[in-house]
Amino acid sequence: MLELQTKQQAKPAVNKRKWLDSEGRWGLLLVSPYLIHFLVFVVGTSVASLYFSFSDYDILNPPKWTGLDNYAKLFEDPLFYRSLWNTVYFTILYVPAKTFLALLLAVALNQKLKGLKFFRMVHFLPVISSWTVIAYVADAVFNQRIGFANAFLTKLGIAPQNWLIDEFWVIPVLVLIAIWKSVGYMMIIFLAGLQGISSDMYEAASIDGANAWQKFWRVTVPMISGTTFLVIILNTIYSFQNFEQIFVMTGGSTEAGSTGGANNASLVLMLFMFRQAFSFFKMGYASAIAWVLFLILLAITLIQFKLQKKWVHYD
Amino acid sequence: MKKRRFLSVLGLIGLTAALLISGCSSQSSTQQGDKVELYMGYNSDPPTKKKMEEIIAKFEQSHPNIKIKTMTAPYDDFYQKLTTQIAAGNAPDLWQSDGTKVFGYAQRGAILDITDYVTKEISKEELNGLEFNKDSDGKYWGVPQGIQVGALFYNKDLFDKAGVPYPTADWTWDDLKAASVKLTLDANGKNADDPAFDKKSVKQYGFAFFGSSRGAFNILKAYGGGVLDPTLKKSIINSPENKKAVEWMVDGMQRKLFPNPADLKAFQSNFKAFLSGAVAMQIDIYAATTSMNGAGLNYDVAPMPKGPDGKRFAPVIANSWVINKKAEEEKVKAAKEWITYWTTSDEAQKEWTEVGEAIPVKKSVANSEMFLNPATKPENKKVFLDTLEFAGTIDTNAVFTEWVKVFTDNLAELFMDKYGTDDFITKTDQGIQKVLDDFFKKQ
Repeated sequence: MLELQTKQQAKPAVNKRKWLDSEGRWGLLLVSPYLIHFLVFVVGTSVASLYFSFSDYDILNPPKWTGLDNYAKLFEDPLFYRSLWNTVYFTILYVPAKTFLALLLAVALNQKLKGLKFFRMVHFLPVISSWTVIAYVADAVFNQRIGFANAFLTKLGIAPQNWLIDEFWVIPVLVLIAIWKSVGYMMIIFLAGLQGISSDMYEAASIDGANAWQKFWRVTVPMISGTTFLVIILNTIYSFQNFEQIFVMTGGSTEAGSTGGANNASLVLMLFMFRQAFSFFKMGYASAIAWVLFLILLAITLIQFKLQKKWVHYD
Repeated sequence: MKKRRFLSVLGLIGLTAALLISGCSSQSSTQQGDKVELYMGYNSDPPTKKKMEEIIAKFEQSHPNIKIKTMTAPYDDFYQKLTTQIAAGNAPDLWQSDGTKVFGYAQRGAILDITDYVTKEISKEELNGLEFNKDSDGKYWGVPQGIQVGALFYNKDLFDKAGVPYPTADWTWDDLKAASVKLTLDANGKNADDPAFDKKSVKQYGFAFFGSSRGAFNILKAYGGGVLDPTLKKSIINSPENKKAVEWMVDGMQRKLFPNPADLKAFQSNFKAFLSGAVAMQIDIYAATTSMNGAGLNYDVAPMPKGPDGKRFAPVIANSWVINKKAEEEKVKAAKEWITYWTTSDEAQKEWTEVGEAIPVKKSVANSEMFLNPATKPENKKVFLDTLEFAGTIDTNAVFTEWVKVFTDNLAELFMDKYGTDDFITKTDQGIQKVLDDFFKKQ
């Protein structure tokens, strides 16, 4: 909408004083289904949640204004710091590994290979499976009694591990599974980026005597830096918002006493928020968590945008 | 110009907010003539949904002035939906609440105090479990819909194989542990009192407990301890009785007679250990019989073992019908008619008993051949009825899920040898008291 209006303002001076000309009104009318949705379900709910975050709200009764109480409590809550760290730790492991792997796969599958479609499909299969299905597959590997992983370790003479219920292993294992599930999706984005590189560039490089590694490093990587940037942003946001996987794999049963893993080792911000809101009826507190989460994500994304000038090329 | 645009956007937001708020409260009541439309909620899976629909059809036949509209979903979804419905002001007039959640709704002001109706129109002599939803002020908040009570479930095949006699009504928790030693086997088939027993490869455990109703709470109580005092506002974790009970549990975990939380997790769900025949005994509630019968397990039930001083405790959860505080008068009246029908009609009670989900609330039906039928497992169903004599609630209050979380988390740490009994007691006592104070001090 904004773009539309800026263009209009560049139009002849007659229209300049009117807020909207007839074309603009038509435009607004045509996008109104989306606009209404946006105002009601995005702006409306955000304003509401901002209000709740300053109140004591148990969902069942009207909220009571308490000012900054929720935020004060949040910054004193050791579980908040624990879940924040878990989220950050997940992101640190997840984003670089997945981005690199997705790029590698995309480059490999961008060659003229036999059965190319088959390989692309294989990598995309986990993407379209639900987390419940993935949880069963992951259990076959990481179950401490019957999983392949421990069977393999035992063969090598290494003691079996508890994987998903071990404080040390839980996040790395979750990251590994998360990468496996969604790397295909990022691979497709990279593939699209790779196909946009003109073959002239590679031909020119060949003439200059570049080998395969040099072509990758000097041509491919800079040419798709825009795509890489997008992938990194998407992965970071996904990683901060990851809920379903952690809920299904280390949280599902409220009876288990292990929601969020052993000693809250996999309690991430989203799970922490969900628990406060829907298990403990603390919607006000949960809204405060949501806003802090939002501010953190905003800050990280802004930093990434600032840094992009150093390495992203749009040519 | 910029300012004007900003103002109009602001106006739109305000309008939207106004629309949202008015949309939430304008709930029109559809009513044709003298007919009352009663909006009812219950959680269900396919068999219970089918049964409930049949019972509703019969009720509507005998009460032509009432038409029932239902809202139903599987357990977790149902309560999430219900919560948002209550917030939006369009919740059912009447719903079936999990017994552990009744006080949560009551103390947050979402349901109707029905003390008058209960004391005047419901006969305590004819009904099981009415007292379990009475609060410490003597107010009644719900009428039982089905009763869940805990007992000791045991796998007969595993006992026969080990040559151990079945549990009896005289068992103490120490007897249970002694039997567990014989019933715990490693990969080589050696049991736990064999010097060659390999703790690292246990294939079969003697006894399992976990969670709230199936868990440590029952053992603490039998030892004379517990978690909350009778007002349900104060932690009583720090007591010598509790310490003794906790030490009894830790000893069993360390000797690998009982699976610890990590061992249990390997079975995909805590329930699968007993279901798959890898555990010989487990505390469980009546509802478990459905899945155990489905798994074709050869099992029976015995009363919960006694503590050192002969005290016994079994958990009870009275799932109940509760009425929305905001329901209109005529709907409240209709809701009470439904509750009366549910608790007094033999037909409704028998139909519901057939699903095998709960112990019937009407005593005459619970004591009938129909419920006690020895042809279906467990043979000894009378145990559940006898247990009601000494059963109690698992200290359910408004912040039940929250303190249980603290309790079970800390217990898991203790069982994984992260710290000792004394640390567990101090940490849990403080943690639970904080949860209680956060809620009750505000009121």
